[in-house]
Amino acid sequence: MIPSFLKHISLICQFELKRLFATRKGLLYMITFAFIWYLILLYPIRFSSDFLSQQENTPEGNSFFQFIGFGSLLNWRIPELGVYWNFSLTIFPLLTVITSADQTCSDRNRGTLRFLCVRVSRGSLFFGRFSGIMLTQAILILASLLTTIALIAFRDTTLLPVAFNSASAIFLSLVIALLPFTAMMAALSATVQSARQATTWAILIWIFLAWIISIFSAYLPALNSLKLLIPGYQISNLYQLAEWQILQLAYIPLLQTIILLSIGRWIIHRQSL
Amino acid sequence: MNAPIIKCHNLSHSYSGKAALSNISFICESGEPIGLVGPNGAGKSTLLNILCGFMRSASGNVTLFGHKPGASALSGRVSALPQDARLDPAFSIGEQLCFYARLQGLNTQQAKHETSRVLEAVALKDVLKEKPSVLSHGMAKRAAIAQALMGKPELILLDEPTAGLDPVNMRKIRTIITELSPVTTFIISSHDLAELGRLCQQMLLLDKGVMSTMQLNASENNKPTRFLTLQMESCPAPDVQAKFNNVAGISRVSNPQKNEFIIEYNPEIQPSMDLKIITCINDNNWQYRQLSQGKTLEEKLFFDGM
Repeated sequence: MIPSFLKHISLICQFELKRLFATRKGLLYMITFAFIWYLILLYPIRFSSDFLSQQENTPEGNSFFQFIGFGSLLNWRIPELGVYWNFSLTIFPLLTVITSADQTCSDRNRGTLRFLCVRVSRGSLFFGRFSGIMLTQAILILASLLTTIALIAFRDTTLLPVAFNSASAIFLSLVIALLPFTAMMAALSATVQSARQATTWAILIWIFLAWIISIFSAYLPALNSLKLLIPGYQISNLYQLAEWQILQLAYIPLLQTIILLSIGRWIIHRQSL
Repeated sequence: MNAPIIKCHNLSHSYSGKAALSNISFICESGEPIGLVGPNGAGKSTLLNILCGFMRSASGNVTLFGHKPGASALSGRVSALPQDARLDPAFSIGEQLCFYARLQGLNTQQAKHETSRVLEAVALKDVLKEKPSVLSHGMAKRAAIAQALMGKPELILLDEPTAGLDPVNMRKIRTIITELSPVTTFIISSHDLAELGRLCQQMLLLDKGVMSTMQLNASENNKPTRFLTLQMESCPAPDVQAKFNNVAGISRVSNPQKNEFIIEYNPEIQPSMDLKIITCINDNNWQYRQLSQGKTLEEKLFFDGM
């Protein structure tokens, strides 16, 4: 019996998880990721949270953070999670661009996609790879959040219920924020020859698309709304939000994801393998 | 008459304006293996890629079992050995074949069993846990053939299956194809005409994007004259031709290659021409290597009428 579309997606998704946890390249990535987060937890999060705890109830402290543009950190009930949120908004999109750049391009060049495409539809393959990458990102976000919560528990175990509540908001918001980045890399990967080309194109799109839209919107301000199409457009605003408010702008990445996935699916259906 | 498994109608494709396939129309029925031959750049791989759903044709229609190439409904029914495709170097061969079997609808246990079976069939069971990077070219080719044999496909499209294989493994692949032929239809693209001659009775000949079909047996039986192909040990070609031309019933003797003679004769005048030829060879103390009925496949496909 031929497996359904969703069963194929699930099988491809599982295989992508295996790529992260059971291949040399995946394990190397995991070790690098763990080392980066170990340093972030050990220094910025731990020390910043100590500093924030001391300053948050003083007018001098408040005005200092407002002045350097990190006033929103004081809106988090647990400072560690506020610092985590600010770091993760920068680090995870970058890691996503790097790790999801090779969703299909190497396999297409090598001919491996041909072995797959006689068994599954291109749509299943495209969405399966996308889902697999998103699942691995979600696992990594969860792991880093749990270690942050462990750090919080080490300081004060009574904060755990609040920590889990805030961490849930961060988890959801981060996963949603990463969707358009992964979708954009899926579409680029379906187009170009290598992961390096996909990453280069992603950087060019960010720089030039924003630049071109800015130039044209100077003449026609309505065009400024086109910036909504650039993945990560809402991230600068997310830095200013705290707790469950961070999901207020979730509609932007969700909309971007739908558009980018539609483009990617259209490309892969027309691509010669 | 068997059910048609492939229907192509006015199929055309071009690369940068250069036609690779020009209005190709044909129907393939299930049954004996079908050979796909043609010179380099004739469009064989393009045709196979379109049939597998790896690329879209510029125009025309093609269906496999009534479905468009690449349709999900063909998963497990159609299998392929794509030219120059390689397995993912990050995973072991066993892991990848098992994954492919799961995608075809087998459960985990069945997939493991199927992986062992196909690897054993191509004499690669020892490399189940190895990465593709440790395989030689021939072994990688056999691993790719193994993935094409997974499950019970009704149609297997093989692009150059024996290129780069040693004679022992060529024979192994030939045996697999012969054994599976009653239940699976093979379409084999190859330049190895001797190989195709052993396996296929029907040929699809592609040249400059234009296709013609040929039934190997039928084409000779319907003609008033028959052919014998004789391969001699080192011999004086003009003398051999002169002597054979004097044998009653022989209408023409050609010498297309060194020590190879094609003898055209009238079976009504001399039904046992093969015996006459052997006698003539013996009388002249020549040595022969092989005498076979009909023309070689190479002659039939590429030099007939030249």
